[in-house]
This record gives sequence, structure tokens and C-alpha cells, in this order.
Amino acid sequence: MTDLDFRPEPQPVPGPTTTNLADILERVLDKGIVIAGDIKIDLLDIELLTIRLRLFVASVDTAKKAGIDWWETDPALSSRASRSALQDENRELRERLEALEETSGTADRKKADKKANGKEEHRQT
Amino acid sequence: MTHSDSPARVPDSGATYVFAVCRDTRAVNSADLTGLSGMPGGGRVRLIASGALTAVAQTVPAADFTDEVWQPRLSDRREIERYARAHHEVVSAAAAAGPVVPLPLATLYLDDERVRRVLADEAARFHGALQRVAHHAEWGVKVYRSVAPPERPAPVPERPVAASAPRRGAPAPGAGLAYLNRKRGVHDRRERRREEALGVAESVDAELRELAAASRRLRTHGAALTGEQRVHVLNATYLVAADRADELRRAVGALRERTDAQIELSGPWVPYSFVGEV
Repeated sequence: MTDLDFRPEPQPVPGPTTTNLADILERVLDKGIVIAGDIKIDLLDIELLTIRLRLFVASVDTAKKAGIDWWETDPALSSRASRSALQDENRELRERLEALEETSGTADRKKADKKANGKEEHRQT
Repeated sequence: MTHSDSPARVPDSGATYVFAVCRDTRAVNSADLTGLSGMPGGGRVRLIASGALTAVAQTVPAADFTDEVWQPRLSDRREIERYARAHHEVVSAAAAAGPVVPLPLATLYLDDERVRRVLADEAARFHGALQRVAHHAEWGVKVYRSVAPPERPAPVPERPVAASAPRRGAPAPGAGLAYLNRKRGVHDRRERRREEALGVAESVDAELRELAAASRRLRTHGAALTGEQRVHVLNATYLVAADRADELRRAVGALRERTDAQIELSGPWVPYSFVGEV
């Protein structure tokens, strides 16, 4: 087509041979020109796919440490580990709050009780 | 998950897998494709010409290229790696003979005639993409910030605030507030570090864009891919003219020295990420 095609030098291309799989996948899967093929193969979301694939080499322990437990929640892949970390923190905060409220509540009640000359009320846990 | 409605139409004689499209030139036609195995189970890697374009293709067993067969394959690291690398190998080899437009993995046609029709129907787009990537290569740049070991606040002497504190145990006054403040401090520090790292990522990207004909941001990877010791803050890829590759390498080297971020450079790649937007 153009004179460029016949330049003796090759294209500057053939990709790095030691490239990691994720680098290749994120290029060959959801990139490129959009041309409909005749046979539909659903290639999934690249992110989900690479996470899932990498876990085939990582141990379950490593994956758990990384907060990923897709085998329990897949295909949603929302990490139950990170969710439960948040829940833990929430619970912890609620407990602190309760404890605080209890302390100040008891103090208030004590004052009120003294004023009313009533007897002290103790709640046991 | 969409289940394909086409397998029934696939003839037993095989399907035509297309790796890439290039110009129908002497260089391409004399390119040595004989050493390429292509897809597992596939025939000889060959060219299918139509007009001024030619497709790098291969006949593959139709039964092995259905959605049903591929869904489990997509969850098998070894299998998908085999197919992805086979695809990449053919695309890269074709690129040695001239500009190519890679097609996504698993692009299949019922027969060669269908491939010729697509080449004809989409000729303008293919030529546009070829023109864009000719004498350019793609370079990937990843920026990571390392994760400092969690900053341990000085222990509060009067009482532990660990989650294991007995429920409803009477805390010292102010312990809850101290706890919240500490939480907030950790959060603020984390936010600050995150913003700094993103700032570095932005400046790396801005500087490299100056050298590039085009650039694109890819998704950053999570801990599963990067490990726990670092956070991926930039995953970008650049279309760079062949004669500016050295300049790019030098710029990355200089950025590595100027910032304390880890910067990874990969390439040259066939410009996979830059053929789609024509």
C-alpha cells in the first residue's frame, strides 16, 4: 500500500517473551478492534478472570491473607473477607459505643437516683 | 452468562480462527509462519487475503471452540495461559513483517469465506488501525507504592483496646474516644499516603504521555496479583513511535530515580491496546 511496507527493517515489535500472564491477558482478552466473530465465546471480565487465575498458583492461605475468598462467594467475587473485616470493625465500634453509653448512662442515673433518693439500679451483664 | 446459540451451526470440518489482520504485502506474504503452532489442535497457520488486507488465520477443531468448552478453560490457569500465549506468539510473529491489527483471543469464523467477507466489510476500519500503529509499539508502565508496615500506635497504658476486650467491660473514661482518634489517625495517614502515591502516578503518566502518540489507562491490579507488600497505583500503556523507544526507557529510568515508587516497564508489545478506537 505504502512505501513503508517494503522497508527492510522489521516492525519494532515481537513482545517481551517473559511477560507475565496478566500482562498478556489484559491485552489479548478485552482489547483490540471490535469485530464480531461467528462463534460467541464469552471471555468474562478481565479483572475477575486474572484474580481467579492467579489464585490457582497462590495457596489458599495466601489468598485468604490477601482477603480474597472467591471460592466461597464466586461468581459475585465480592470479598467476604474484607466485608467481614468491616463488620468486625463495626461491631467493635458498636461495643465501644455501648460501653461508653452505659458508663455515662449509669452516671446519669446515679445522679438522678441520688436526687430522687431512690435506690441504685445495677444492671448485670 | 450467555450461552452460545451457534455451536449447532458449526460444521465438523472446523472453524477459522483469526489472530490478526495485516496489509497484504510482499513482506507479509513471505513471512515465515511455518514454525508457529498456533492454537492447540489447530492446523497450519496461514494467510487469508481479501483485497489489500490479509488475515493471519488457522483452522481449529470447531468442537474445541465453543462457549461450553471455553468457560471451564477460562478458570484453568494453565489452559488459558496456553491459549493466550499461543495467540500472542502468532500475533507477535506476524508483526515482524509489518503492522498488524490483533484480534481478541478466540475470534472465530465459520469458514474462510466469512473471514474474507469481514475483511471486505471492515476494510476501512482495519486500514485506519493499521495506519495508526505502523512503526509504533506499545509499552506498558506499572507504578506501585510499597506498603509500609502498619504503623503501631503507642499502646494506651491504662487499658487495652483490642477487639478482644471483654464485652461491656467498663472502659476507662475516654478510652473510646482515644480509640476513635487513633482509628482516625491511621485512616488519615493512609489517605495521605494514598494521595501522594496517586500524585506520583499522575506525574509519571503525564510525563510519559508527552512521549507517546496515544496512551491508555488499564485497570490497576488488586492484592491478589501484586502481593501484599505493594499497591498498584498506575497501570498505563503507551503507543510510542519506534524511534522514540530509547527516549521512553530513559524517561522511565529518570522517573525511577526521582520518585520512590516502583516503576515497571514492559514492551515492546504489538499495539494491542491501540487498535480499537478507530
